[in-house]
Amino acid sequence: MSERTDFSMDRTFLIDLTRCTGCRGCQVACKQWNQMEAEKTRFFKGEGYQNPPAMSEHTLTRMKFRDYEKHGHNEFAFYKEMCMHCIRPACASVCPVSAFVKTPEGPVVYNPKRCIGCRYCMVACPFGVPKYQWSKALPLVVKCTGCYSRVKEGLVPACAKACPSAITYGSRKDMIDEAERRLKQWPDKYVGKVYGLEEAGGTSVLYLSELPFDELGFKKLTTRPLPTFTWAALRFVPGVFVFMSGALTFISWLTQRKERLLKERSRNSQGTQREEGGL
Amino acid sequence: MITTRLILAEVKGYPRFIKLLMVPVSAGAIAVLLRFMFGLGAITNLDDLYPWGLWIAWDVVTSVPLAAGAFIIGAIVHCFRIKKLEPLVRPSIVTGFLGYFLVCVGLLIDLGQPQRAWHVFVYPNLHSPMLEVALCVMTYTGIVFLEFLSPVCEKFGLRIPLRLLRHVQMPLVVLGVAIPTLHQSGIGTFFLIAVDKLHNLWYNPILPLLFWTSAIFSGLSMVMIEAIMVHRHLRQPDETDLLAVLTRIISWFLAIYLALKVYALLFLSHGPLFDRPVLTALFLVEMGVGVVIPMVLFFRQRIRTDDRLQLWAATMVVVGLALNRFNVSMFGLIQRNQEIYYPSFLESLVTLGIISAEVILFFLVARYFPIFEHHTEAVEKCSSAFEQCEGGERAI
Repeated sequence: MSERTDFSMDRTFLIDLTRCTGCRGCQVACKQWNQMEAEKTRFFKGEGYQNPPAMSEHTLTRMKFRDYEKHGHNEFAFYKEMCMHCIRPACASVCPVSAFVKTPEGPVVYNPKRCIGCRYCMVACPFGVPKYQWSKALPLVVKCTGCYSRVKEGLVPACAKACPSAITYGSRKDMIDEAERRLKQWPDKYVGKVYGLEEAGGTSVLYLSELPFDELGFKKLTTRPLPTFTWAALRFVPGVFVFMSGALTFISWLTQRKERLLKERSRNSQGTQREEGGL
Repeated sequence: MITTRLILAEVKGYPRFIKLLMVPVSAGAIAVLLRFMFGLGAITNLDDLYPWGLWIAWDVVTSVPLAAGAFIIGAIVHCFRIKKLEPLVRPSIVTGFLGYFLVCVGLLIDLGQPQRAWHVFVYPNLHSPMLEVALCVMTYTGIVFLEFLSPVCEKFGLRIPLRLLRHVQMPLVVLGVAIPTLHQSGIGTFFLIAVDKLHNLWYNPILPLLFWTSAIFSGLSMVMIEAIMVHRHLRQPDETDLLAVLTRIISWFLAIYLALKVYALLFLSHGPLFDRPVLTALFLVEMGVGVVIPMVLFFRQRIRTDDRLQLWAATMVVVGLALNRFNVSMFGLIQRNQEIYYPSFLESLVTLGIISAEVILFFLVARYFPIFEHHTEAVEKCSSAFEQCEGGERAI
């Protein structure tokens, strides 16, 4: 896990949902760049009208469609769902074999060669991002890489490149400044909150919206970085181990000594009795 | 040919329920085969919403505390020198070893890449609770295996290994308490990461401590159930007055657990507690059946001598514990309006097979190795124990 404290230069997505037309260019670009299999269109129960219904082993990002009522009319809202590339990623902290790494550039990347397939990352991720190859005999996890291979070469991620209107990509500091500038310039247009600024300790994907975020299906999350929750307990491990071993050794020594003394005493008294008998 | 016939004849002599249990074991084995041929998605109901299902909730999160008897009995007898409980040591070690061995088997079936399990040694991430638990469970399985070797060596009259085992006994016992303390609580640490997922009734920062405390009383309850069952069905001596000692320990740990849980609910939990009726019901059953009622029973005088009451109370503790672990690792994680997961038929078969395998293996060990004999100076009495156990075998 990285010990960095300054994340202001991390590559960050600013996704302005008021400028999103729902064209799904990002979804297609992602599929093409990562050469992912297509998914068959189907009807499904549950939320939204998007296709595919959820992110999966074949779909690393997708547009989520949701309808809502505005001034008595039905309206569509959409948002791009993807890995949030947390500043302090839960997946990286829980993975037993360090298969997830927060890169210095910002994206959280997954190393399929290390993964043992325990799926703890999927339980830990507050955004439900890591997906699993359920159809394979020896499955791995699949997740958005933030197009790390492109970013390393100075390119913009495929989805950000394809997006005609809504995605701005740059350093986290610049993106936060830009988001705040827009909030200030059009206070009536937005709900007055940047999602991702503090959620789960801060993420490298920031959202602006005209609808309340929970209405769109964004989760209300703690602002404390998730790894600190497990670390609060894990940091006691060495201490507990030393204390337990020490205490038990001491108790054993004590009880053994007591037993030995008792035995010696009884032997001594027996011995004197025998001597007395001999006399 | 003759050996095959001998083995068949021997198997024919087993009690009927053992023979019956071989059916789920073979069915489970076939299901495992299918899992490795067609993948987890084909035979389980797991999906991206429910990455962990029955196999984790039962085979790991519940089985580990139920196999905790070995480490507590070990500590009581060898460290605190309550020698009276000596006869319970070996059966609990056998249960511990079988339990942990099968936890490892269950985990390997559940892992996507079991052939890479060794990666935890090569690429350890010290911030991962999973690493802590994996390393501890593996080390501890090794430790209980070494402890389990004593009766095996006795059976075959191997004096030198026995003497060696006697030498490392105390370090093994000490490590055998310190390490389970870490992984019993570590399984609780797993769920600390699920901050906004696990319901407030179960999510609190002392979850690891609660897991450790509940492992103690439920591990001891398992030892109790086992001793009573073995007395009833395998014609072993009645241990009711030994178990009376356990009833006291269990009652106090239940009380400590209840106090910790109430404290956690009152002062350490955030957000609404009783907003979901189903979860509230699950919670009440868990606390009522698993903690409050058995605690009252265990504090009564009558339970010291009444083995039926002991069996009832201990069973309630175990059922409550299982419900608690399912609540934490499964039910409590289900969000509002989320589809409900239930294990598939094949998935359940694997778990059923693992449970049956445990019973069969315990029976086999009890039949062929001296685990119920009472002897402190194992090495000195090795040969006599050897005869004794042959006698015991015939008695079975």
